[in-house]
Amino acid sequence: MSQTVVIAPAPGRYPPGDLAIWIFILAELLVFAVFFAAYAFARAGDVALFDEYQHTLDRRAALVNTLALITSSYFVVRATAAIREGSARDCARWLAGAIGLGALFLVVKSLEYAHHLEAGVHLGTNTFYMFYLSLTFFHFMHVLMGMVILGAVALKARRGGYSATEHTGVETGGVYWHMVDLVWLILFPLVYVMR
Amino acid sequence: MTPTPAPRAWIRPCTRIWLLLVLLSVVTFVVGELGATGLAPSLLVLGFAMLKGQLIGDFYMGLRWVSGLWRWAVVIWLLVPGGLITTAFVMAARGTA
Repeated sequence: MSQTVVIAPAPGRYPPGDLAIWIFILAELLVFAVFFAAYAFARAGDVALFDEYQHTLDRRAALVNTLALITSSYFVVRATAAIREGSARDCARWLAGAIGLGALFLVVKSLEYAHHLEAGVHLGTNTFYMFYLSLTFFHFMHVLMGMVILGAVALKARRGGYSATEHTGVETGGVYWHMVDLVWLILFPLVYVMR
Repeated sequence: MTPTPAPRAWIRPCTRIWLLLVLLSVVTFVVGELGATGLAPSLLVLGFAMLKGQLIGDFYMGLRWVSGLWRWAVVIWLLVPGGLITTAFVMAARGTA
């Protein structure tokens, strides 16, 4: 089998997975786009405040989380490739790995939140923290939801519910997870690095 | 005659993409750690983020193999917040906000 088949679905007019999830993903991406733009324009109105409080964020934790999400997305690609090659067991294992990395993301992010809460930070502290907390928590909830979806897909894969010819569910869960990763890839530099 | 199987690459394409994503993320982190401020480093890491987003959309979400408008769904999405963020940072740098 050619190596390119591993990540390439059959060429077609529609993207992999259920079309409904793509409509949902586009709606989600639109919301995050508005959030990102609002953050950037709010910062433009008070650069000094945003730069000052950006220093209080843990960039190392954000890097760990970035690598966790990127790697979990890679695991989901491998899971999709495995089911396309007819290996449901490997598919479930790769998905379990992706869920584990999602859990790591949640733990690291929770530790960051705990640190801020201990310092007395809350939504009303200032505009920067209002955006930081609401934006990252909104994304946090998407990671949680993505883990639930991947968990359901992994269980079904483990029980033999997917095959090389019928695996729309794996692709559907996968593209949702990639969307969660995609959003973080913009959020990380915007909130933690750019100033 | 038995057909010759396609040669197996020593590293899968999706693994190469993953390595590139990791590299760009680490470079973004280093830019932050160096304390680089201003428009140029900000737009550099934003550019990295948009490139990473395109790689995810094309190769991980599978849009590279799709025809029609869906092919460009993620690219268009990246350009919208990317353009707005760029505008906001340019305004901030020029003090016109």
